[in-house]
Amino acid sequence: MNPWAFLGMSALVNLVVAGFALLYPRVVRKGLLFGVYVGEEASEGEAARELTRGWNRAIPLSLVASLLLAAILAVSMPEPWSFVVPVHLQILAFLGLYVRWYFRAKALAPPGPPPPAVAPLFDTRRTSALLPALTLAAGVGCGAFVVAYAWSHYAELPATIPTHFGPSGEPDAFRPKSFFTVMLLPIMVLVLGTFLGGMTWLTAHAKRALRRSAERTSLEAQLRFRTAMTRYLSGVSLLAIAMLTMITVMTIRVGLGLDHRLPPAVAALAIAMGVLAVGGGIYLALRYGQGGARLEQARKDTPLTDGLADNRNWVLGMFYVNRDDPSFLVERRFGIGYTLNFGNPKAVALVAGFAALIVLLVVVAALTN
Amino acid sequence: MPAFPLLTFCIPNCIQYPVMKEAVLAVDWSSDEPVYEQIARQIRAQIASGSLPPGASLPPVRTLASDLGVNLNTVARAYRLLEDGGFVRIRHRSGAEVVAPASRPDATARERLRGQLRDVLERLRQAGVPPDELRRIAEREIAALQAGRAGDEGVIR
Repeated sequence: MNPWAFLGMSALVNLVVAGFALLYPRVVRKGLLFGVYVGEEASEGEAARELTRGWNRAIPLSLVASLLLAAILAVSMPEPWSFVVPVHLQILAFLGLYVRWYFRAKALAPPGPPPPAVAPLFDTRRTSALLPALTLAAGVGCGAFVVAYAWSHYAELPATIPTHFGPSGEPDAFRPKSFFTVMLLPIMVLVLGTFLGGMTWLTAHAKRALRRSAERTSLEAQLRFRTAMTRYLSGVSLLAIAMLTMITVMTIRVGLGLDHRLPPAVAALAIAMGVLAVGGGIYLALRYGQGGARLEQARKDTPLTDGLADNRNWVLGMFYVNRDDPSFLVERRFGIGYTLNFGNPKAVALVAGFAALIVLLVVVAALTN
Repeated sequence: MPAFPLLTFCIPNCIQYPVMKEAVLAVDWSSDEPVYEQIARQIRAQIASGSLPPGASLPPVRTLASDLGVNLNTVARAYRLLEDGGFVRIRHRSGAEVVAPASRPDATARERLRGQLRDVLERLRQAGVPPDELRRIAEREIAALQAGRAGDEGVIR
């Protein structure tokens, strides 16, 4: 790939990430500051405002500096380092900034025990259960279908099969037929489809974090955010599952000589998925805010509760670790969406197992190609 | 809980959950009272005040434990305590259901609870509360119970 084209793509991704980073202070739940619960009053104080102003200056500066460095490295280093190093430098620069601001915010955190935990005494979790269940069923169903489809045509496939398609949809790489070259993609669709569907389902069942003395408003806001978030994840997942299923089926059909290229619908699905992923993320942030922050009317006397307010359970403001808490997913403190409870062995085993399986499949795919 | 999941996408939450909106409980981390006691006490108070009417469903153990960030056994112990007191009926895998007060008092239970009440009164007396004040406390609590609201140790709001 042309290093300048890659740099352009990298710059685009970094612009989106930097945009979200700049958006964060405007959509965060009141009381939180760069991954730290500092209390509702302190989060609006002069020290917090100064911290946010510094963040708003540092992000664009970091972006410009890292892009300049990336441009220099992109033309001076050999492949693949010219691609790998600039991207990782930019990620490291962003993480470094976050960690620095996290520790500065931590100095503002109040001493003493966290606010009381609050829970509603009725169950609202199945509000968004149907769509996640359908997404999970689609992921498992489509995955099982493509595995069965590929296996049933395995014997009929010729000695050489397509393994890659160019931008025009024509196959541009072929490999000798083997179990891995034929079955790897269908198995990956099954694993990825199940994973995406499962994460959507878990999101709908994530822990609720309410605001004390304003539980009603807070719960309403959170339920609306959760419904929107579940729809967003389901939409992205369903498009990804549809695209991968179509690619797998077409790979077999092209291998059998029944077709010659991927249909334009595959490219359309990929574009739709990208637009929904980025556009939907921006819409969610602006419309609902973090966990519905823009819908709830937070006052100084309505402190956050539960997992979000307890600084003892958060490592670097990013990783939630609570061994007592049976939750799989909890709301993020930094950013929009949900994160894993790293203190729950079942949650860690489930996600680590899926991640390991996906990495294993990618490695096997790279080795067999 | 809505009867038809499909409807959940077109009905606002405020209509889906018209009752028990105020039914919440809080766990105070700085309190000396054990967490399971705090949970049981507040649910008891809400049942007595009518915030949780007979037949109302309490969330499953896992849901409540997850929301509060406490161990499953803590919530299960609180529910067992409530069941022993005749306040709820535990349902397998789906939380618990608030039980209506008995229409006729059971003689054995009545004697046992009367003994407990006497024990509390004796402790209050030992703590220095004069008999007149004891009577006022008891009358205030009975009046609150009849009016369908929690007494001094009511719902944390």
